Amino acid sequence: MAEMVLMRNFGHADSHTLAAYRAHGGYAAWEKARRMEPAELVEVIKASNLRGLGGAGFPTGTKWSFIPKNHTGPVYLVVNADEGEPGTFKDRYLLERDPHALIEGMLIASRAIRSAYGFVYIRGEYVEPWRRFSAAVREAYDAGHLGRGFDVVVHRGAGAYICGEETGLISSLEGKKGWPKVKPPFPAIKGAFGQPTIVNNVETLACVPPIVERGAAWFAGLGTKTQGGTRMYSVSGRVTRPAVYEAPVSVTLRQLIYEHAGGVSGTGRLKAVVPGGGSAAILTADEIDVTMDVDGLKAAGSMIGSAGVIVMDESVSIPEALMVLARFYAHESCGQCTPCRESTGWIYKMVHRIVEGRGHKDDLDTILDVAKRGGGTTICAFYDGAVGPYISYIEKFRSEFEALIPRA
Amino acid sequence: MSAIQTIAFSPEQLAEVRRLQSLYPDGQGALLPVLHMAQDTFGYISLEAEEYVAGLFGLSPAHVHEVVTFYTLYFRAPKGRHVVAVCHNLSCHLAGAPDILAHVKRRLGIEVGETTEDGRITLQSVECLCACEAAPMMQVDDRYELNLTADKVDRVLEGLR
Amino acid sequence: MPKLTINGKEVDVPAGTNLIEAARIAGFDVPHYCYHPALSIAGQCRLCMVDIDKTPRPTIACNTQAADGMVVHTETDRVKETRRSIMEFHLINHPLDCPVCDQAGECFLQIYYMKHGLYDPRMTDEKVHKPKAVPLGPHVMLDAERCILCSRCVRFCDEITGTGELGIFNRGDHSEIGLFPGHDLSNKYSGNVVDICPVGALTDRDFRFKVRVWYLDTAKSICPGCARGCNIDVHVNRRRPHHDGGRRVARLKPRFNTDVNRWWLCDDGRYGFDFVDDPSRIVAPHRRDGRAVTVVSWDEAIADVAAALGRVRADQIGILASPRMSNEDLFALKTLVTTLGITRVAFAVPPAMPGDEDKLLIRADKNPNTRGADLIGLGGDARSLLADARDGRVRCLWVFHHDVFASAWPAADTRAALERLDTLIWSGTNAGATSELAHLVLPSAVWVEREGTFTNFEGRVQRFRTAIEPLGAARPDWAIVGDVLRVRGADPAAPTRAEPWFRRLADAVPAFAGMTYRTIGDAGVMIESAR
Repeated sequence: MAEMVLMRNFGHADSHTLAAYRAHGGYAAWEKARRMEPAELVEVIKASNLRGLGGAGFPTGTKWSFIPKNHTGPVYLVVNADEGEPGTFKDRYLLERDPHALIEGMLIASRAIRSAYGFVYIRGEYVEPWRRFSAAVREAYDAGHLGRGFDVVVHRGAGAYICGEETGLISSLEGKKGWPKVKPPFPAIKGAFGQPTIVNNVETLACVPPIVERGAAWFAGLGTKTQGGTRMYSVSGRVTRPAVYEAPVSVTLRQLIYEHAGGVSGTGRLKAVVPGGGSAAILTADEIDVTMDVDGLKAAGSMIGSAGVIVMDESVSIPEALMVLARFYAHESCGQCTPCRESTGWIYKMVHRIVEGRGHKDDLDTILDVAKRGGGTTICAFYDGAVGPYISYIEKFRSEFEALIPRA
Repeated sequence: MSAIQTIAFSPEQLAEVRRLQSLYPDGQGALLPVLHMAQDTFGYISLEAEEYVAGLFGLSPAHVHEVVTFYTLYFRAPKGRHVVAVCHNLSCHLAGAPDILAHVKRRLGIEVGETTEDGRITLQSVECLCACEAAPMMQVDDRYELNLTADKVDRVLEGLR
Repeated sequence: MPKLTINGKEVDVPAGTNLIEAARIAGFDVPHYCYHPALSIAGQCRLCMVDIDKTPRPTIACNTQAADGMVVHTETDRVKETRRSIMEFHLINHPLDCPVCDQAGECFLQIYYMKHGLYDPRMTDEKVHKPKAVPLGPHVMLDAERCILCSRCVRFCDEITGTGELGIFNRGDHSEIGLFPGHDLSNKYSGNVVDICPVGALTDRDFRFKVRVWYLDTAKSICPGCARGCNIDVHVNRRRPHHDGGRRVARLKPRFNTDVNRWWLCDDGRYGFDFVDDPSRIVAPHRRDGRAVTVVSWDEAIADVAAALGRVRADQIGILASPRMSNEDLFALKTLVTTLGITRVAFAVPPAMPGDEDKLLIRADKNPNTRGADLIGLGGDARSLLADARDGRVRCLWVFHHDVFASAWPAADTRAALERLDTLIWSGTNAGATSELAHLVLPSAVWVEREGTFTNFEGRVQRFRTAIEPLGAARPDWAIVGDVLRVRGADPAAPTRAEPWFRRLADAVPAFAGMTYRTIGDAGVMIESAR
């Protein structure tokens, strides 16, 4: 088994406490980072090939470098703890089992981007993680890590998946509906409260202390040529051992399913896998020899997204699975822009009808056409995330859908 | 039946509202936390509570109403003493969520969105709570109840007074 | 000034111009819903997509600033296909209300579907249902199903009136425009949301079901409701007189003027035209002798006026002009006053209630031409004029438009003054307590029944044009006064059209020097001292 980086502390007693974190080397990276120049820190993260682990996979060091150099006002660091992608649960573990890793990552990031103020946006349903993390923040203040040049405000959401989109999160943080913002301007230029803002995922920031402590080259070397390090894969569905598994990003989907998670449950025969959270295009049983990194899955026509792996055995009805997701997108569409607002509801109605045996013969082509017409036309990538399943489930399992549609 | 109550925060709570507002570069950032406070205090967020909170922020009531109707965790009508939210997204669906939900409905004798006659439990069917490794699951008030079976559901519901 | 290329045409635009405006400057139309030049950028409708070189996907034009060297294409096959897609998205849940929707004929779903859509609809599922025919305040009707959620109305109430009554509630395809439950759309500019709503979601309650818009004719005019002089279009229904109870003016709409009212019109102005076809309109000249009322011809009426003026000395005549009269009317009256040597002249009567005023458009002075009356030299002390009447020093008083009983002065004083007179002449449009006392009543045409100019409070001279024929025998005030001038021999060449009266005014009063109807045009011209 490869070395645990992100989950290294999970097995320790009271791992969420400052004492335990410190006992296992916590905050040493911050001590080191405090003696480094902000520009240096940005270069280290760039060199590590760390890529965003929330869904978009954008190179983190590059994102940090977008903060305007001559900006004299505040710069905000915002942590996206609004985990909501179906099949994903890794951030919940970090918040509950290693909150100080996130705090230390925030401290280092704050220095790199010259931010004195950070917000941690935790989804409203995560009450226990919120309590755990808030207690850790208080410990960090008491110990003098926070409150000496960097302050943190913990903010609870109120139930909306779209607040996981970085500008939807910013709108919500500003006390409004979670409507994503029209871009440009991008958050690094004009973000929360009109100031330059970096939004990073929980897990992404948890990678930062180990990178600073052990070096960019080490982290980069753990992964592939274009993405460094390990990451936490949330594996669920029809597997023997659903759980979160840490592995280098070069791990294959086959390895995750069969070596980590104990193989396929149910009938025991694999039918399909969702590799990167609900919004990722589905892969068939023939497509699992793909590396679970950003570029590997992109080349396979899907995405790693939040690394939520949902395994389906042969007894799973793909149309039913699509219906469940179509219902999700219809419910979570924020409603701001027309293509997403109107078609997520319509497509759910059509898929629902098909599953109920009341499909029309043109429905499948209509769904595919509508999805393709809407992709790329919206304010944010939510709709593109919906389009992933709409198109891939029907194109790859079309006969299963057609079997449900009465002949004319 | 809930008694008619005055919608107003105590002086300590108002101080807390001001403190929360001061944490954000624009005080409006405290709106979601203060709405949570209002819900915890008054049981749910009535139109009167919306107007009251709007006044604390200098916002038009329409804009507070936008926020309250947008997010799923704000209740706009009285709810039961406990809220049971069964996840119906993909991994839970694959693990048998529909049967769990049907079982809960039978046990409680209510449909999704309704509250039991004795005011004990409000039932919801919700999107991914991100505990897929322990599917099927539900959220009961502040905590997650994982790896549900019909028996476990019964025990959990039993324990809700 | 960035120079960019749009559809192969090079164009220079001011810095900060977005691509919708840049395309407009270059002569191309980029279809859009949520964009409005007066409001913040929403970027929600996604209809204004254009292709830009070096940008892989179509981009929304409203949120893209013109940049030097940018190459924009608004009519590529990909842009056209995107527009067709966006039209389909907009119509998925839109109800088939055209046969009963007032917006038909000026609806941008209809217009853009015919231009950019023309696909076969394939939505056969149940559409989302939302509240219909919901009154939002006294003037606006909401149909939430028709709403395309462009948010223009929400942004209007936030950014222009600052009142924030409207919001978009819920999310997804259950999103709905609305008021806070139990509240009203109570700002004084509520009618403007009907103008800016591209579809029939927000319609005018006053205009509801009255007449189809394709039967309307239009004339450019000025609102006479206050001293701001907002520019308007008068929409008249000549072709379907059996609609709307025979009301000839169907509605008033704001006309864009960058210096006066921009895109807006207040509700009092917008809905303040009931008096035009009200039963109280005076349609024929008449004499009153005690209780007996006799309708007379204009020749007889003018002869009566001339005789009444001739029976007393000039210093026993009082003229109470009105700041509601046009510059032409006032100058004709000034001519009469000067040639007859009348000294007791005034125009300002204090209203019973002080007028409301705000920082947007509304002026406390509810008259359109106080500045004109002042410049033309008809100012005086109206209170002492009335006192003179009460004391018998004024024996013949000609009141223009005022109902003096509706003023701030005690009714008893007014009655004592008016009843003491030998002759009370009243000209105006609608009967009132003062006209009921007058010995001679002369019907004036209302402003939409004639042309002329007003001078607003800032000194801007603006034209209003004839929209409908005068009702009955009503005539413009300058025509009535002109007849009296001719009959009295005081001005045999008194003009018989409005424009020559204005030319005389421009020659005689320095503030108006050099102005002509042509130079005033549609946007107006400032008086000399205010330029």
